[in-house]
Amino acid sequence: MIARFLILVQMALRNLVGSPINLLVGLLIFGGSFFFVWVGAVAESVNDGMAKTVVASMTGDGQLYSKTAKDELALLGGGMGGDGDVGVMTNFATIASELEKVPNVRGVVPMGVGSAFVASGNIVDVTMERLRGLYRALDGKSDDPVYSKLSKEELRVTIDAQKAHLRQIIKVLESDASKSKEILEEKAIDQDALEAREKVGRDEFWARFDDDVLGNLEFLENRIAPQVSDAQMLFLRYMGTDLAKFQENFDRMYIVKGTAVPKGQRGYLVTEFMHEEMMKLKNARRLDKLKIAHEEGRLIAKDDELKRFVKENRSQTRDIELQLDAKQTDEAVAKLEALLQLPEEKSLPALLEKFFDTDDQNLEARHAWFYQELAPMLELYKVRVGDMLPIKAFTKAGYMQSVNVKVYGTFAFKGFEKSPMSGSLSLMDMQTFRDLYGYLTQEKLDELKSIQKLSGSKVVTRENAEAELFGDDATLEIEATAQAIDTDKQLSGEGRKTKMEDLLTRVYTQQEIDDGVVLNAAILMKDPSQAPQTLAAIEKVSEQKQLGFKTATWQQAAGMLGNLILVFRFVLFGAVSLIFFVAAIIITSSLVMAMLQRTQMIGTLRAIGAHRAFVLSMVFHETLVLGALFGGGGIVAGALAASVTRFKAFNDASHFLFSGPVLEVQSSPGNLVIAGILVVIVSMLSTLIPALIATGVSPLRAMQSDE
Amino acid sequence: MSTSIVSIRDVVKEYHLGATVVPALRGVSLEVTQGEFISIAGPSGSGKTTLLNLIGCVDTATRGVVEVAGKDTGKLTERALTDLRLHTIGFIFQSFNLVSVLTLFQNVELPLLLQGKKTAAERKQKVMSLLEQVGLASHAKHRPSELSGGQRQRVAVARALVTDPLLVLADEPTANLDSATGAQIIDLMKALNQQKGTTFIFSTHDHRVMQHANAVVRIADGKVLGRETPKEAVAHALGVEAAPAQPSVPA
Repeated sequence: MIARFLILVQMALRNLVGSPINLLVGLLIFGGSFFFVWVGAVAESVNDGMAKTVVASMTGDGQLYSKTAKDELALLGGGMGGDGDVGVMTNFATIASELEKVPNVRGVVPMGVGSAFVASGNIVDVTMERLRGLYRALDGKSDDPVYSKLSKEELRVTIDAQKAHLRQIIKVLESDASKSKEILEEKAIDQDALEAREKVGRDEFWARFDDDVLGNLEFLENRIAPQVSDAQMLFLRYMGTDLAKFQENFDRMYIVKGTAVPKGQRGYLVTEFMHEEMMKLKNARRLDKLKIAHEEGRLIAKDDELKRFVKENRSQTRDIELQLDAKQTDEAVAKLEALLQLPEEKSLPALLEKFFDTDDQNLEARHAWFYQELAPMLELYKVRVGDMLPIKAFTKAGYMQSVNVKVYGTFAFKGFEKSPMSGSLSLMDMQTFRDLYGYLTQEKLDELKSIQKLSGSKVVTRENAEAELFGDDATLEIEATAQAIDTDKQLSGEGRKTKMEDLLTRVYTQQEIDDGVVLNAAILMKDPSQAPQTLAAIEKVSEQKQLGFKTATWQQAAGMLGNLILVFRFVLFGAVSLIFFVAAIIITSSLVMAMLQRTQMIGTLRAIGAHRAFVLSMVFHETLVLGALFGGGGIVAGALAASVTRFKAFNDASHFLFSGPVLEVQSSPGNLVIAGILVVIVSMLSTLIPALIATGVSPLRAMQSDE
Repeated sequence: MSTSIVSIRDVVKEYHLGATVVPALRGVSLEVTQGEFISIAGPSGSGKTTLLNLIGCVDTATRGVVEVAGKDTGKLTERALTDLRLHTIGFIFQSFNLVSVLTLFQNVELPLLLQGKKTAAERKQKVMSLLEQVGLASHAKHRPSELSGGQRQRVAVARALVTDPLLVLADEPTANLDSATGAQIIDLMKALNQQKGTTFIFSTHDHRVMQHANAVVRIADGKVLGRETPKEAVAHALGVEAAPAQPSVPA
C-alpha cells in the first residue's frame, strides 16, 4: 500500500513538473489561497479592530438589560434609527452584587444611552446676552459675579466694545448681502431684512441706542439675529453611567482636556474626537488636519482631500469674521497685512482667503501663526471645558426635560483616539441621565400625586385626552383657584432635596448612584474568551434570583455595527466564494485538458491491469499534491505577507475601519485552517470532472497510436 | 498434451460509425495452445489489432466466444476482465507505452504494485532480474526518454513479463524500430518464450518478423485465412506461390 501511495505521489509530482497546465493550475491555487489568507487577515484585523474598539469603549464583554424590553439593545443605534425601548432595571445594586460573585466577572457598569440636540448660540444672541448683562450691571441689577465687580467706566468701555462687535457683524452681513445682490434677482431680495440692516447700519441708530436699550436690543434680536446663520444644532449621543466605575473598568479611557468629573458629582465629559471634529472652529480644525496629513507625508499638491480642505478654508472664513469685533478686526487685518506683505489690502475676508491659501511650503508656518496670533482672539470651541451645557431631551414620557450640566473635560480611549466609533458617545453622570430620561421613582411618583391632589389636576393619558377634554361625558371639571404655593411645605423627599441643594456641587453616595433606574449594564470579564459561558452563567443567576434581566453579546449590543460586521463577513465570504468558484472552473478546465492529453497513458495503465479506482486515486493524488504544494505555499506566503502588512489610516473612513491610525494586520490560525480546507475542497471539486474523464478512458486507448 | 490458452469461436466484431456498421472481424475461429510463439499476419486494416484486442480483453466481441485461460471473456464483468489482464496477460505495444514520469525500474514494477502481492524485496529481485535479462539493469534508474526505441521496447517486454503471465500479446512490436533492433526484440521475445514457456501472440505485417514465429495466422478482410508455417507466410507476403493455407483447426 505504501509503495503504491509513494509511486502515486511520485507520478503526481513528476506530472506536475512536466506539465505547464499543472503549473498554471498550481499558480491559480497559490494565488487563490494567498488572496484568501491575506485579504482574510486584513478583513479579520479590521473586524477585530472594530470589535476591540466597541468592547473597550462601549459595550464591555457583554451587556444585560431588562427582560421586558420591547426592542433589542442597540448602543450604536438600532436598525431603524433612534434608540429602541429597552425597558429599565430598577434593581441595579442587587444585580451588581449578585453578578460580582460570578467567577469570570471583573466588573458591572450601569449605563443608559440617550440623545439630544444642543443649540450652540448665534453670535448675535451671544453678544446681545452680554450687552443685556452689562446694561443690567450698569443699572445695579446684575447677578453676574464678573459684571457686578466692574466700575461704571469699565462697564461703559465693555458695552462700547460689544456694540462695536455688533456693528462689525452688521458690516459682515452687508458685505454678504452685496455679494448676493450680484447673483440674486431683485424680487428675491428680502426687503424687510434689507431695511433692518440699513437701519442698524446707520451711526444714528448707535448714537441713540441708550435712549431705548430694551427696544433696540429687541430690534436686533428679532430682525438682525435671524439673518446670521452661524448657529448650529449639535447632536449629542451620550451615555449616562457611574463615571468612576466606568473609568475604573474601561481602563483604556483617559482624560485629554480638563479633569474627570469629581467622584459622585454631576458632570459631562465630551469625547475628544467629537470636541475636535464637531465642536472646533472649522478653519482651525482643517488647519490641524492639513498639518497632521503633512506630517504623515501627504502633499497638498498631490492630495485631493487636502486640496479640498484648503479650498474650504479659503472660502469659509465667515465664522472668524463674525467672531471678531471692530478692534479685533483691525488688529487681525494689521497682523495679516504684515504677514502676507499686502499693505494695501484692508479687507479681512480677502486677507483671510489669502492666509488660508496654504501649500506644502507655508503650511507649518501658517498653522503656527494662526494659533499664536489669531486664535487668542477667537472662540475655538463651541463647547469649552468648564461651560455649562444646556441639554434638552425628550423623556420617555414624551415631555421635554432640560438639564444644565457642567463640562469637566474631554476623554479618549488609548489606541482609539482617532476612531469615530469610540468617539461617538459622550459620558454623563447617572443622575443627570436619569433626569433627562424622565423615569419617575416611587418617591417621585408619590410626590407628584401629592402635588396633583393639591392642585386638583388629574392624570389624563394621551389616548383619552380628547374624550376627557372635549367629550360629552367629560368629568374633568376644574375650577382654578389662585393661591400661593408654599413649596417648602408641600415638596418632600427628592424634590425638596433637589430644590434645597445645589445640584452641581452635590456629591451622591454610591448607593444613590446604584439605586436609581438603569437601562443596561456592561459586564467586564477577566477572560473575555470565556464570554459565552460567563453570559450563560449570568443568565442562570438572573433566572434563579429572579433579577429580571437578560444578556446580550457585545455584537448584539452594538446594534447596527454588529450587523455591519456581519454584513462585512458576508461580503467577504461572497467574494471569496466567487473567487474560488471562478478558480474551480479554471482549474477544472485546465485539468480536463491535462487529462485529455494523457488518455493513452491512462489507457495503458488500464490495459496492464489498473482498476478504475487506481486511476481515480492517481488523479486525486495529483490534485492533492498540487493543492498541498501550491495551496500550502499560498497560505504560508499569505500569512507572511499579512504579518508584514501595515496600513496607515489616510482619511476619516479609514480611521473608522482601522479603529485607529494604523491597522496592523495579523492572520489568525483559524483563518489559515479555513484556507487549507477551502484549498482541499476546491481541489477536490475541480478534480471531479477530470476524474470522471480519466476513469472513463478505455484500455483500448492504449492500443491506438498517437502518431 | 498441449493446453489451449486462447480459444476463439465464430467471433464477429462490428463497429458502428453513426448509422454505418463496419465489420472488423467476420466469424473468426482460432485456437492457441500454451507455449506457442505465433504471429498474426495480414495487411493494414485486416483485423489483426481487433483480434489482439479481443484476446487481450480490452474489447469484447459483438458475437461469438472468446475464451482466455479457460474463461469466457464475454461473460466477465469489467472488473473481472481487468483482473484477468493483470494476472494472466502481458502487453507489448507498438509505441512502447511506458509511463514517461517513472523510471525503468518503476515502469517494470508497476504491474506488481497493481497486483499488490509481493513484498518490496521480492519486487526488486523480480524487476532487476528481468531488466538483467533484457540487458538494461544498469539503466534501472533512467527515465524512458533517456533510452532509444529498442531499449524502450525491451523495457516494455520486461514489464509484460514481470507478473509471469500465461500469455503475452504484442501489437506490431517492431513497427517503430529499425529492422536490426526489431530482430533483436523478436529474438528476445523468443528466448523468453523458450525459457519460461510463456505464450506469445504478436501481430505484424513484416515478413522478416514472421519468419521467427512457430506459426503464422494469416488474416485478411476480417477473416482468418489459415495457419501457415513461417516459410509459407513469408512466401505469401512476398507474392510467391507456396502451399495453400491450411484452414484453422483447433490444436
